[in-house]
Amino acid sequence: MALGLTLAACGSKNDSTTGGTSGTPSAGKPASNLKIGLAYDIGGRGDQSFNDSAARGLDKAKSEFGFDIKELEAAAGETDAQKEDRLRQLAEGGYNTVIAVGFAYATALEKTAKDYPDVKFAIIDSADPKVDNVANLTFAEQEGSFLVGVAAALKSKTGNVGFIGGVNVPLIQKFEVGFAAGVKAVKADATVQVKYLTQPPDFTGFNDPAKGETAAKGMYDAGADIVYAAAGGSGNGVFKTAKANGKFGIGVDSDQYNLPALADVKDVIITSMIKEVDVAVYDFISSVKDAKFAKGEKVYDLKAGGIDYSTSGGKIDDIKTKVDEYKAKIVSGEIKVPSTK
Amino acid sequence: MTVGGLSVGLAKAPARRSRRIPPYVYLLIAVGALAVVSTVRVFTGATDLTSSGTVQAALTAAVPLAMAALGGVWTERAGVVNIGLEGMMVLGTFGAGYAGYQWGPWAGVVFGLILGLVAGLLHAVATVTFGVDHIVSGVAINLLAPGIALFLSKLYFADAPGGGQKQSPRLEDAAKVTLPGFSDLMGTIETKRWFFVSDLAGVLRGLTTQVSLLTLLAVVLIVATAWVLWRTPFGLRLRSCGESPSAAESLGVNVYKYKYLAVTASGAFAGLGGAFLAVSSGQFRDGQTAGRGFIGLAAMIFGNWRPGGLATGAGLFGYTDAMALRSADAVHALLLLLGIALIVVAAIQYRSGHYVLSGVAAAIGVLFGWWFFASDEVPPELVGAAPYVVTLLVLGLASQRLRPPKFVGEPYRRGQAV
Repeated sequence: MALGLTLAACGSKNDSTTGGTSGTPSAGKPASNLKIGLAYDIGGRGDQSFNDSAARGLDKAKSEFGFDIKELEAAAGETDAQKEDRLRQLAEGGYNTVIAVGFAYATALEKTAKDYPDVKFAIIDSADPKVDNVANLTFAEQEGSFLVGVAAALKSKTGNVGFIGGVNVPLIQKFEVGFAAGVKAVKADATVQVKYLTQPPDFTGFNDPAKGETAAKGMYDAGADIVYAAAGGSGNGVFKTAKANGKFGIGVDSDQYNLPALADVKDVIITSMIKEVDVAVYDFISSVKDAKFAKGEKVYDLKAGGIDYSTSGGKIDDIKTKVDEYKAKIVSGEIKVPSTK
Repeated sequence: MTVGGLSVGLAKAPARRSRRIPPYVYLLIAVGALAVVSTVRVFTGATDLTSSGTVQAALTAAVPLAMAALGGVWTERAGVVNIGLEGMMVLGTFGAGYAGYQWGPWAGVVFGLILGLVAGLLHAVATVTFGVDHIVSGVAINLLAPGIALFLSKLYFADAPGGGQKQSPRLEDAAKVTLPGFSDLMGTIETKRWFFVSDLAGVLRGLTTQVSLLTLLAVVLIVATAWVLWRTPFGLRLRSCGESPSAAESLGVNVYKYKYLAVTASGAFAGLGGAFLAVSSGQFRDGQTAGRGFIGLAAMIFGNWRPGGLATGAGLFGYTDAMALRSADAVHALLLLLGIALIVVAAIQYRSGHYVLSGVAAAIGVLFGWWFFASDEVPPELVGAAPYVVTLLVLGLASQRLRPPKFVGEPYRRGQAV
């Protein structure tokens, strides 16, 4: 009952004028009876990375709005049918705002969303499916990767840097392309070594530090001194090797220098490409709350503050102004960062 | 009973191994293989084929597989199939994570071993005492173990500093040793890129630099298993349970006891493999084993249920896995190497009169050789498959005389007549 009171209070706090005039296909009165369902990607809450970031956004929305929330976890190696079941379970359970975390849900969501036109869905990291009640929250990872590429090129002494992707999928290729472009923008003759740990449908590349360690060791042996790890949990192995060999690494998704799980290797993390999944999740929930749901793709880029790079640890303080110059150029549109090969 | 068992051991010993291959032949084979690899290295310029870094990575990758395979040897030699190795490995990774972050890597290893042992005991109770189908019990363990590990990890790691619901806090790695002086000397020779000499130096350097004590322990365990199972009366009795339990029982061997010991030991080895994996990757993660238990099982089968064979299988897999993760050039060079290896296999099979097999090996070998010369690189989509393809082809076509223990997988009831 206390919950109901909070909800009512929240609902009345909104200014309904903006809600009414927003003109979105689903515009209506501000929702005060939201039930939010969230389906995690492999790794789930506690992965210290992508999923945790989504969880932070959810927690923030929960503490501010106090909605009824249900979270479901994914298992490694599951099929589209299992993902579809999970989404249906949420929709059937009366959860009228459902967030699918990760591009892996695209196919399952396409089937589910059509059957529940009254439910507002969001999918993170995928421009598909294009359905009226789905918001596609994507990130311009190539832009952030470009910036850490610039940092890597400026800090590298050997002119040789590495990129390790978890799984060879289009999403992770965006990181690679942006990173390589950033490196080349500073040093056209620099070498960028590229390695993906696994090929789809084997997604263990995001969760196998041993593989990350081996691949990074190979790159350091071949002359690289900085390796960008866009490989989820496998990145831990990359940083471990970097520390053992006196080299450096670049983190991904969150400011990995400040993660407690990486405290003993944080000295080697010169910067991280930050992707504000929590912002996207929170924004989506509040948009539905305010009856401003907008279908289709919403890109969180450098300009919108959905992407950034970190300076924790002070390892790149000396080149920060240069990196920020590139950042300003991307924001102003002077530099267009490619996202595909 | 002991006397009866002993007499079994003594009576059978002299009749064994009439055509044993002398050790120097193995040495010659190794030298020849290295010469071929070296030739390919010089020809293609893919230095990662024999670099010390590859050898180091191969060792690290091979150890967990070899431990799972060793577990497989123990249990299958006693007649019990254990496809639950993967699940036991998962428990080993959790155990290492739980004890490892609190009391250091060796506590983690011991705790991982104990959890594996408990799972092994469960498999023994199901298959030996209750006569459950071995596959069914193994599958049950494979389904159960990840669930238990995840449950416990949520319970113990979620609030631990640096941990999460699906991962443990960081573990300290076990100490690593380097042979002083020798390693640097080999490093100098390795960088000269001389034919054969530098390759040999690269391999030797890889084997003597930054070697984890866990790896050394694994080597000791493989040798010890070979000795215990093939050189002691205990081992002979254990193996007799896998070949003909009725005969063993008629001679006074307590078949149930030996099966229990073997299956429990197999769980302990698999748990150890999982613990090695977790400690060397620096943490426990949910789903970390990624099928390594099954690969270990395959390495054991290709290794003809023998320690030397499984070490070769695990080593070959680790080597190609390391290569696939390290260098695209080396994987391309691997095509040529694989082509040559298969043609050698074809020649050997032809001499032994296996003409069809020889033809198949030669055809595939030529195909790989052609692929090498017709392309500049292996598509990245296929690089990850290299370890599986290489291990399957080389071991599959080379060792055609695989002989599983005769009674493996069969339920056995005390006093039954065969």
